[in-house]
Amino acid sequence: MLKPAVITRNLHKWLGLFIGLQVLIWLTSGLYMVVVDIDFIHGDTLVKNMRQTIRPPEAQGQSIASLKARYPGATRIGLRPVMDKTFYAVATNDKRYLIDPETGIVESPLDKKTAMLIAQYHFNGSAPVTNASLITSNPPMEIQTRRLPLWRVDFDDRFSSSFYVDPYDGSLVTRRHQYWRIFDFMWMLHIMDYDDRQDAHNPLLITAQISGLLFTFSGLWLLIYSFSGPRKGKSEAGR
Amino acid sequence: MRLLKKLHKWLGLLIGIQVLAWLLSGLVISLLDPAKVSGRYWAAETTSEPQMPPVTELLEPEELPPAYLENATALDLTMRHGKPVYRIVYSDGETLVNAADGTVAATGEADALQLAKEDFTGDGTVYSVKSGMAPDLETRGHHGAYWRVNFSDRANTSIYVSAATGEVLERRNTFWRVRDFFWMLHIMDYSGRQNFNNALVIGVASVAVWLGISGFLLLFASFTRRDFFFLKLHGKTGHAIVTLYDPASEATRQIRLRKGSNLFLSLATRDVELPSRCGGGGECGKCKVKFEVTDLPEPNNAELGLVPGPLRDQGYRLACQQDVFNDVVVHVPAGTL
Repeated sequence: MLKPAVITRNLHKWLGLFIGLQVLIWLTSGLYMVVVDIDFIHGDTLVKNMRQTIRPPEAQGQSIASLKARYPGATRIGLRPVMDKTFYAVATNDKRYLIDPETGIVESPLDKKTAMLIAQYHFNGSAPVTNASLITSNPPMEIQTRRLPLWRVDFDDRFSSSFYVDPYDGSLVTRRHQYWRIFDFMWMLHIMDYDDRQDAHNPLLITAQISGLLFTFSGLWLLIYSFSGPRKGKSEAGR
Repeated sequence: MRLLKKLHKWLGLLIGIQVLAWLLSGLVISLLDPAKVSGRYWAAETTSEPQMPPVTELLEPEELPPAYLENATALDLTMRHGKPVYRIVYSDGETLVNAADGTVAATGEADALQLAKEDFTGDGTVYSVKSGMAPDLETRGHHGAYWRVNFSDRANTSIYVSAATGEVLERRNTFWRVRDFFWMLHIMDYSGRQNFNNALVIGVASVAVWLGISGFLLLFASFTRRDFFFLKLHGKTGHAIVTLYDPASEATRQIRLRKGSNLFLSLATRDVELPSRCGGGGECGKCKVKFEVTDLPEPNNAELGLVPGPLRDQGYRLACQQDVFNDVVVHVPAGTL
């Protein structure tokens, strides 16, 4: 019979070979995620003018009642701030419109120039826009849950920031940057969902976790043997 | 290497329990079905927003009491329970206002009960409705007053309905509560359970990474070719004969080993138990054996630390630190054979 200490030591060693690298990945990715401030990751420091308020339009021009008559299928009619102006926004079951309060002209979908202006209006910095493109299908991983289409406006700043603007209501839907992308990659490594980066309920992760748990437990158990150390003056007979 | 081992050992003692807590809480969180944790497993399917009927009586936004629009970030005319309402959004909450008369359309207890029943499709009936004014652990992240509607299902579901807008804020149940407890252990925020940028977790994780790195490096030292003999990748490896000799009883035993085998482990697997506390880790110094002075191997760091000089000179080494490459005679402690 092998001694428990021998079994534990070898168990820890072999489990280490099998799962040690993943445990190190868990520790490293976890460290990144706890060290980097989540508000920064969310891009809170990259934006400004985010608390724009709406101003009810002057009585002349359009009104909620007139838009209701104009869009009988409307499910929502409201007011939205876009840069320094308040627009009417109308939604039916399958369409959305952004409407100028004075002229009644449908401004949506917003063009590239306007999308860039909106992005710059919210960008808390002076870096220029390098690229703006309309994403209508196959969205990048970083906006996979968002409703399309979206304007993507890239800035030439040190965070490689990308702002996403909704062409149908002029809102800044989200913003992404290099540290967000690293965070997302770390999250992928952490939950071992290499496709969608969302599902922490996957068999690969659970298998790795059970191995990791045995590995950690054997390591803790081994501490008992390791710390019983050399004791001088005691008989080495027995055992 | 000895230093690395020492580091690994002490870091393990320092934070090993938390690493175990991370693995355990991570496992529990992964095992729980996310649809049940979020409650959407039992939630009624959302219907598309109803179209608005032509209404004659309708206040325009500028006709509403001006205080409602102060600091509003968005406004929508929409339908709630068959009535047109303005949903007004602020940076810290929302309000519903009747579009016909401009009065606040708050959700009362009876409405909240009805809305919760419509949302929850699981078994069980409502056994209590409670009101809350400020967010607690289960409603953190929300603003304003709410109704808590408790169901008698097996998962102890509580549906939270906003008193301001009548929206279902959260669906909480045993799955979520278990998950939340382990999430707390995982991110080490024992009060708010949501701040994973806290100093404690940053500190412990920083130390844990060194535990991981030292362990990873030790892997390279712990494994040698002999560990992979079973894969038979190396073609034929030769054998060596170890002759064990117990001077007290003058008993001898010969053991045939693959060249490169670890002496301690090979003997252990053949029922020759040398004394050991650490199990072959080069830490307790108990598995001393004596080599013939003629084929005396160089002592390594572990042996320099654990075997006194005079004993080393006599030929004592630690069996767990010795790999056998040639035929050798090894003196073992009395009574071993």
